[in-house]
Amino acid sequence: MPDCAVPDALNTVGKKHPIDNQIANLRKAHGLTQAALADAVGVTRQTIIAIEQNRYSPSLETAFRIAREFSRTVDEVFDWTET
Amino acid sequence: MKFTICKKYLTYRDAQSIMYEIFYIGTSIMPFHEKSAWIMTTALLGTSGMYFAVIVSLSNKLGQLAPPLLPLIVIYTVALIVIAVVGHLLIALFSPKDANAPLDERERLIHQRAGHWSGLVIGAGVIFSLALYLFTYNGHLLFYAVFASLIVSTIVEYACQIVLYRTR
Repeated sequence: MPDCAVPDALNTVGKKHPIDNQIANLRKAHGLTQAALADAVGVTRQTIIAIEQNRYSPSLETAFRIAREFSRTVDEVFDWTET
Repeated sequence: MKFTICKKYLTYRDAQSIMYEIFYIGTSIMPFHEKSAWIMTTALLGTSGMYFAVIVSLSNKLGQLAPPLLPLIVIYTVALIVIAVVGHLLIALFSPKDANAPLDERERLIHQRAGHWSGLVIGAGVIFSLALYLFTYNGHLLFYAVFASLIVSTIVEYACQIVLYRTR
């Protein structure tokens, strides 16, 4: 059954997510709370939690916003492993 | 036994504390739109349950399927709107900032996915209703079947949103 035009960003339950990230570590290192990062990036706190737990892949724009908050490049924050 | 893991009896204060924790933590963790989905699911289940209970009761008295009654549908709609408005006012009072925030990218995907499943349900419901009419030629039954499909698809939409908010 076609699953409409919804991207794969949510299709991750029970699967090994190919995109890993360092957000939780960087956030703690910068002394930021999830809510503060969410406000800075323009998403909800629940979305930051989902990204940190690898349940959701952010859009490219949000990935750049997150990286900018930590003064890092996207490559330094996100890591993609081919499965 | 020297150490006890938990108390044998819960005091009133323990129960009060647990309820507070559940409500406070639950509502503070949930995003506004998930709370909204909970309210709408509860409101739809409650009002629709009452509506169809009245229809069943009327049908039993009449000895046949009761016709759709406009006053009953008006009462149903008004009750649903009142519960939805009061519920949303209450959650907006607790989190006014979230209430005005638009959906973020993950929430938009969740709503799209839920809408997709809801669309499938209403499609199947309408096909079933039409088939039911072709076999029974009962207009009242057709009305109830389509109405129920609409309600079920809406409940499925909100229920899917809740599940997706909690799992993804």
